Amino acid sequence: MKKKSTALVVLLFSILLLAACSSGEDSKKESQNDQSITVNVMTEPPSLDPALATDNKSGWILDHLFEGLYMRDKDGQPVLGAAEDVDISEDRTVYTFTIRDDAKWADGSPLTAGDFEYAWKRVLNPETGSKMAFYLYYIKNAKAYNNGEVEADEVGVEAKDDKTLVVELDSPVGYFEEMLTFWSYYPVKQDAVEKDKNWSANADTYVGNGPFSLAKWKHDDSVLVEKNDEYFASDEVTLKEIEFAMVDDANTYQQMFNAGEFDMIMEIPSSMIETMKDDDRLKTEPYFGTYMYMFNVEKEPFTNAKIRRAFAMSLNREELTKYITKAGEEPAFAMIPPGVTTDSGDFRDGAEPYFEENAAQAKVLLEEGMKEEGWNTLPTVELIYNTDENHKSIAEAVQEMIRKNLDVEVKLLNQEWKTFLDTTAQGNYQIARLGWTGIVLDPVVMLDAYLGDSPDNETNWLNEDFDRLIEEAKVESDLEKRIKMLHEAESILMQEMPFIPVYYYSKTYLTQDRIEDVAYYRNIYPNLKWVKVK
Amino acid sequence: MNIYIVKRIFTMLLTIWAIATLTFIIMKCIPGDPFASDSRALPEEVLQNVRAKYNLDKPVPVQYALYMKDMLSFDLGVSLNSETRTVNEIIKQGAPVSAIIGLQAMIIAAIFGVILGSVSALNHRKFIDYFATTIAIIGISIPNFILAPFLIKYFAVDMPLFPVARWGTWMHSVLPSIALAVTPLAIIARFMRSSMLEVLKQDYIMTANSKGLSKYKIVWSHGIRNAILPVVSFIGPLFASLITGTFVIEQIFAIPGIGRYFVESVFNRDYPVIMGTTIFFSAVLVFVLFIIDMSYRLIDPRIKLTSEGDGK
Repeated sequence: MKKKSTALVVLLFSILLLAACSSGEDSKKESQNDQSITVNVMTEPPSLDPALATDNKSGWILDHLFEGLYMRDKDGQPVLGAAEDVDISEDRTVYTFTIRDDAKWADGSPLTAGDFEYAWKRVLNPETGSKMAFYLYYIKNAKAYNNGEVEADEVGVEAKDDKTLVVELDSPVGYFEEMLTFWSYYPVKQDAVEKDKNWSANADTYVGNGPFSLAKWKHDDSVLVEKNDEYFASDEVTLKEIEFAMVDDANTYQQMFNAGEFDMIMEIPSSMIETMKDDDRLKTEPYFGTYMYMFNVEKEPFTNAKIRRAFAMSLNREELTKYITKAGEEPAFAMIPPGVTTDSGDFRDGAEPYFEENAAQAKVLLEEGMKEEGWNTLPTVELIYNTDENHKSIAEAVQEMIRKNLDVEVKLLNQEWKTFLDTTAQGNYQIARLGWTGIVLDPVVMLDAYLGDSPDNETNWLNEDFDRLIEEAKVESDLEKRIKMLHEAESILMQEMPFIPVYYYSKTYLTQDRIEDVAYYRNIYPNLKWVKVK
Repeated sequence: MNIYIVKRIFTMLLTIWAIATLTFIIMKCIPGDPFASDSRALPEEVLQNVRAKYNLDKPVPVQYALYMKDMLSFDLGVSLNSETRTVNEIIKQGAPVSAIIGLQAMIIAAIFGVILGSVSALNHRKFIDYFATTIAIIGISIPNFILAPFLIKYFAVDMPLFPVARWGTWMHSVLPSIALAVTPLAIIARFMRSSMLEVLKQDYIMTANSKGLSKYKIVWSHGIRNAILPVVSFIGPLFASLITGTFVIEQIFAIPGIGRYFVESVFNRDYPVIMGTTIFFSAVLVFVLFIIDMSYRLIDPRIKLTSEGDGK
């Protein structure tokens, strides 16, 4: 009896071991498969419907499944995509696109101008309830239709015939070409959308027009895309398959990368960055966004511009990025991050520094400000941030710098994310953390956050000159003049400082040596269209 | 017996309704907008369209009535965060995965917990007892978010017996099940030990001893069977929470279960998912409690399932 059970245990154990070994071999074989890669998208993309997607991760997968009239080249510049030609009117408000003859849907049917008209009007249709509809408001009557004021046929987008799409804008938009690469402007196939309300949730009903097509979507586990042979530039695509896996835990995806199960991971934890500093698999790419602290200018003591400036000058950004955030961020002294190309180089290079870090001067400025307001002691200051380890470490370092340099005690308070958004929206704060990114590489999309009537401006700061300059710049068709106006606007903003810029964002990636030609972009996740497995 | 069951089912439905209503009220009281996001604030006109789409523009009592109406036809609505997925789908796809892990964990915890507890009771105040108790205390005090990465490091990376994470073959379910089982195992062992100690003092054990029954026979048919009763009543709620998924374990092992939705839906203010997961959990819980009550009868024939009415 006893012997039997011992034998059973031994048998079970050896089966287990055998199974373990064989499954290990399987997964290794798989990863050696030619031209198929696995990357980590971390979480379930909330939606793969171009009209409903709102987040970067859905956008990342969508960028591989669709292609707009314009697309991004390897350097991130907008170039013609599904359109082969465009004719822009002299006042830059009417765009006439010619759709490529060889542009097709993944099911082989031809892609027409009507598909774009249908898709854009679908985004704007109030019943769709698209959260991104406002990104299409540049189009004539788009906003009115989205508000239910006019009918769909009054919207300024019309397919003249299968190949010709005419788009009319309210006023010229300096970055419209880049805007057209954005997923809200992707076409969708009317038949597919109307046949099944949930067409975008399953691979069987999903139709795109991009370099890859959706092969399998295992919710909360992975999205598998495979090469789309109908794609007009499919000869540029070497990869056969990309699996976007959803592994959210940093320690886990780091282990999986080390085990060779992932070809690319992102958002590398700082502990890992440190150990991999000299490893050339680690990439740090600048990202078009600014980490900042905003002031509520109606709450004392930040009603005073000098005091706001004193706080901004008292930080040591070099120290923050080098020892706290560690992911290659760049200290920020303005609102607009590097990355905007103008005729005379980067937008950032064309502007004088607006302020410098100087503890002694900051202290003097603080005293001047207090004198102006007639205060002997500074009212208590509280800084809020949304609950997160990284925000916490930054806030604590900032607290210490302000204590040391200004002799001011800042209280820290953290709130859960949606509560935090609610608090700041209602203006119940003095200093609050804010991260701001732009979906196109243009100063306007950054600066308009501080327009007096912008729903994003939670600082209560209002400056008519600033508002006027931005509005004028938006419709200015002389590009050089436009950039000059935007420099001027930024300079007003930085004079008044309703916020403290801290650093310009960066993104960290780890890619295995076996893959090459990843196209890294400044404001969206990298495109894997040109990737080759060595 | 039949009347008892009918009454029981009625109370179960009432409980679920009460939980749903309370959750609805509490959920509407927490500050935060499901459509507030980290990037741009949505223009008012866009927000109006979105709110209208989900009936969130209507007064709260109307929203409640609409929700209850849909709930009666088992339609739990569409997730606000993931707009192309219904809550029914989320539960249908995630729950079986969570249930597998939970069930395996429960089996491991129950078997080893009962054995460990019994062994230490039988060796009261001997080395084995102290050893088992220490293991139980360690099991209770190590949180699974520490244990899970530890298991990954040793059994998936250093010694690649199992996959690091993700879902697929049964091999993928081994480490998460173990990680999930440790704490309940330790708790069951502690319960079992004290319950067993109590039982071993009883007269019938002495009788069995003096009858000359073998030690194994005594422990098996007189000891464990009696000692397990309090453990079973404790296992009920534990079982319900294990099979409905665990956020931490599913997060660390990247398991496509339902557990994460309990937590993330609250963070996202994803109202239909908050409601759906809560109703799902309470349904599982009341059902499991019902089954447990029924199973008492099997374990202990002295217990009769009667409602007050039956007795007369």
